[in-house]
Amino acid sequence: MMEIQTMKELNEACQREEKSIGEIMLMMEAEKSGRDQQAIISMMEERLIKMKEAVDNGIKDATTAPSGISGGDAVKMNDYVQQGKSLSGSYISNAMSFSLATSESNARMGVIVATPTAGAAGILPGVLFSLHKNDGTPYKDLVMGLFTASMLGLVIANRSFISGAAGGCQAEVGSATAMAAGTIVELKGGTPLQAVNATAIAMKSLLGLVCDPVAGLVEVPCIKRNVIGTSIAFSAADMSLAGIESRIPCDEVIEAMYKVGNDMPRTLRETALGGLAMTETGKRVKERLFCRKS
Amino acid sequence: MEFQSCFDIIGPIMVGPSSSHTAGVVSIGKFIHELLGDYPKEVKIVFYDSFAETYQGHGTDKALLGGLLGMDTDDSRIKNSLEWAKENGMQYEIEFESCCEYFDHPNTTIVTAKRGDCVVKVGGASLGGGLSKIFMIDDDMVAIRLSAGDDFSALASSYHPRKKVMDKAI
Ligand code: SF4
Repeated sequence: MMEIQTMKELNEACQREEKSIGEIMLMMEAEKSGRDQQAIISMMEERLIKMKEAVDNGIKDATTAPSGISGGDAVKMNDYVQQGKSLSGSYISNAMSFSLATSESNARMGVIVATPTAGAAGILPGVLFSLHKNDGTPYKDLVMGLFTASMLGLVIANRSFISGAAGGCQAEVGSATAMAAGTIVELKGGTPLQAVNATAIAMKSLLGLVCDPVAGLVEVPCIKRNVIGTSIAFSAADMSLAGIESRIPCDEVIEAMYKVGNDMPRTLRETALGGLAMTETGKRVKERLFCRKS
Repeated sequence: MEFQSCFDIIGPIMVGPSSSHTAGVVSIGKFIHELLGDYPKEVKIVFYDSFAETYQGHGTDKALLGGLLGMDTDDSRIKNSLEWAKENGMQYEIEFESCCEYFDHPNTTIVTAKRGDCVVKVGGASLGGGLSKIFMIDDDMVAIRLSAGDDFSALASSYHPRKKVMDKAI
């Protein structure tokens, strides 16, 4: 049975089998689970549909989350983009709106798909549905993109971490952004090696990012970090598609992320005891919501 | 390798806001529900470390109670599970500790759940991305991996807490 533990092994497997990263994932999943490929694709389609529903619901919902500290920004962003005002170009602008929509839905305890986590759930749908909107990438390709993303995510998750509590936000928004960057590259016809390079470039840009949610809520700064994550994913993908390589190989970047995460104090790993959570405003929000000083 | 499937990364389909502090915890609760064969009448919950610090913001309490009541990760009733617990006559108390001596992970809980004559004490950790691990059942250390799509009743069926407790009682 095929086991892939590193990006190097992944790239070699792609060469050997003459398959894309997404196709390798699909093959491995079929081998491991005993399900046939079509059944697995259907399961993934279901996830893509749920992602789309979260975007569609979020983009028109101007209500605030129960906490009162988030909500309504997806509508603002979308209006602004539709007026043709945005500076970023339509790929990034649309991705920003869609990721806001998803992350705001998440904060309202709406249904979303964790990619790889709920805190970082806005990034992949943001870039995928932006590709669809801007160049008509068909849904069946987006589904394959989810296999690409999960393959990259599996390597990261098993060699490092994907949760803020374990490794800080670099592990969460960082991993999701890295997965999204590689996925864009594969969907735009880049080679597996280029996809892995984009993954490395994106992850490097978010290395060291701490997890410091205000009042422990997955809202501030989480939602906006998802939005920015989409723009990093597109920049990293563009660099890689231009032929630029990561000077540090992806596996070493992942290892660095792991070490940085282990060195992070507990206060900066989802305990809401440091960083933005402990700013004057952050503390006030916490007191107001939970009447519990710390 | 803890993460095995593409659906460990893309998924679960879940109600927000946190895969580790909400979805993974629903699964731990659901597993206990399956162990008991129904929802418990009395529950004592200990939240450790990151769970203790941020459970309110993430709805970790709602998630655990929802799971104990038999809900899945994408059940929109989880939002109101405190009320559901009340309605079902489920009594619960929550305690907070900084570190769990049985398992080294920031997202850890130990739940003692009782229904009729059966009592189970279960330790669970939420590993991230909605994936969880049951590391302790009663006093035995175990390693049961929970992913939202798994058949929890099959996973729970190899443990017989009810029978065990009954035997002890006799
Ligand atoms: S700050 Fe923490 S909770 Fe928020 S997205 Fe980042 S890792 Fe998740």
